[in-house]
Amino acid sequence: MSEVRTAPRGFEGLIKRERYPHTWCPGCGIGLIFNNIIRVLSEKGLDYSNTAAISGIGCSGRMAGYMNMDSVHTPHGRALPVAEAIKLVNPDLNVIVASGDGDLASIGGNHLLHTSRRNPDITVFCVNNETYGLTGGQLAPTTPKGVRTITSLNGALHNPLSMQKIVTGNAQYFYARSTVYHLDHMRECMHAALEWPGFAFVEVISDCIELHGRRLGFKTPHEMIATYGEKYVLAPAGRTELAPNELGIMTKA
Amino acid sequence: MQRLVQGNEATFQGAVRAGASFYSGYPISPSSEIMAEAAKYSASHPEFRFIQTEDEIAAAMSVLGASLAGAKAFTATSGPGFSLMQESLGMGYMSEIPCVFVDVQRVGPSTGMPTLIAQGDLLQVQHGSHGDYYSIAFYPNSVAECYTLVGTAFNVAEEARQPVILLSDAHVGHLYELVDLEALATGVEVLPRALAPLGGHTRHFTGLISDDNGVPRTSDYQVYRRWLAKVKERSAAVAAKHPLYEYRPNPRSATLLISFGIISRTVLPLTEQYGYFRPIRMLPVLAEELREVAKDYRNLVVVEANDGQYASLVEQALKRDVARVPVLGGKVSPAEIADRLAEVIGQA
Ligand SMILES: Cc1ncc(C[n+]2csc(CCOP(=O)(O)OP(=O)(O)O)c2C)c(N)n1
Repeated sequence: MSEVRTAPRGFEGLIKRERYPHTWCPGCGIGLIFNNIIRVLSEKGLDYSNTAAISGIGCSGRMAGYMNMDSVHTPHGRALPVAEAIKLVNPDLNVIVASGDGDLASIGGNHLLHTSRRNPDITVFCVNNETYGLTGGQLAPTTPKGVRTITSLNGALHNPLSMQKIVTGNAQYFYARSTVYHLDHMRECMHAALEWPGFAFVEVISDCIELHGRRLGFKTPHEMIATYGEKYVLAPAGRTELAPNELGIMTKA
Repeated sequence: MQRLVQGNEATFQGAVRAGASFYSGYPISPSSEIMAEAAKYSASHPEFRFIQTEDEIAAAMSVLGASLAGAKAFTATSGPGFSLMQESLGMGYMSEIPCVFVDVQRVGPSTGMPTLIAQGDLLQVQHGSHGDYYSIAFYPNSVAECYTLVGTAFNVAEEARQPVILLSDAHVGHLYELVDLEALATGVEVLPRALAPLGGHTRHFTGLISDDNGVPRTSDYQVYRRWLAKVKERSAAVAAKHPLYEYRPNPRSATLLISFGIISRTVLPLTEQYGYFRPIRMLPVLAEELREVAKDYRNLVVVEANDGQYASLVEQALKRDVARVPVLGGKVSPAEIADRLAEVIGQA
């Protein structure tokens, strides 16, 4: 009888598979972002021996807990001060933050202002699904004006927050924007962010199909993600600021 | 060598002696000198990390991060900042992170009376964050004790694996006394870190209830009950090693004064007339010790700079009536206290 061999799922050392099934809905963009963070960490040789991952609260905030390394799941909005202190105490440790737009830019907005200003050498991966996914799809500060959510029934009244403007308002910065449609570009941004010797912020536009997308009329996650392919274009070279529909990397050393 | 040292300065120096290597904070009276000391010290000792954060939320969260990363870490604040720190304290209890928070109390609620003394944060120390947890708090009444008790707080934090509170107040913090810090330093025991620093492991530190491997178990009541029983028992056992108090019996008196922090200094002249008990470990309440001492007195009176917070804890612990002499609004007058005492004892 021939021996049955199982094929490895990949990234064995980097993911806590024993915790699967994970918490994310089928079709949620967080899965793509998580997998690509893992892939980039693997390509860079980052693992439990040299890296710690920090998350806040939210669906996105569950990412650190599935990474096979020391990780901290802070209260809502507090990933950055925890991450900054860890880096200050142990500069040899690579410190990455993975969390959501609500976590990092709404309740954690004050920390985003100030941690980015102090410019510690940490890398932040921000899932921007333009809503509060975990709590059921409420208005987030990133929700575009006019978009309906369960707490903005006639459409969001205000213009959305620009995380780009917060981060690039500093003297030195690394800010990148990508989407879950543009996977190669997303990884390019993540690689560059991890190499940046300072505070690096990667915003990845992502879908929350179940608690946001369906209400907006999308039948499938694919349909929702495909709109990012239509809406977003690569910024032309020489840009110092990304237009709202542009993807790219803005840096100042 | 003896020199004039301020309470807040002694608190900082005692923390360094206890092995502290991280301070984060946000300025607030009457605690700011602790932060200034930390800034000054870090300027000449780069291995001591210091960060002035954007608010007390970040200061307290930084303490948690720093502790996880391997540093004995602390922050100091006063009421308004202590309110903002409740969220971090909650995570400290849930994730079992050793660290020390110093609360130099002033009159509240809210912005209150920023430079005036109060002791009104006691119940907040006990229950200020949501959910069940088991606070341990110490409260010095002298500059020397600021120095030694902050060391006790750090050791207890490591042993009990939880945040420990060092209470102080506007007067204890700003008190200057002649002390010999070098001599005090020789008596200090420094415990090693309880936690291996971040890096090289695959642990998960989360504010969610989780099992021993850090895997969140958010709908299993048994995991929660086991965890709560574990931390309850550990916290009580470690606290029991430090039943700190000062007792001056007065066999001629039927009245025991109970007082702490700066107010205990104010009532000292009254020990001619009354018995005197000063809890130093404020929480958990020294129930057995108090019960033993209180047996000899008909009247128990708590003199405290709030409207009866410790008195209510003593009543609860001893199941006896406890009279109150509140010292309110930052006005500390020995004459007023003596009059009010005579009044409540007269009524008893
Ligand atoms: C202090 C506090 N307030 C509110 C909540 C409830 N809450 C949990 S997740 C969340 C929003 C998360 O949004 P985001 O960061 O965008 O992550 P997503 O779930 O969309 O990935 C909120 C409001 C909480 N856990 N803590």
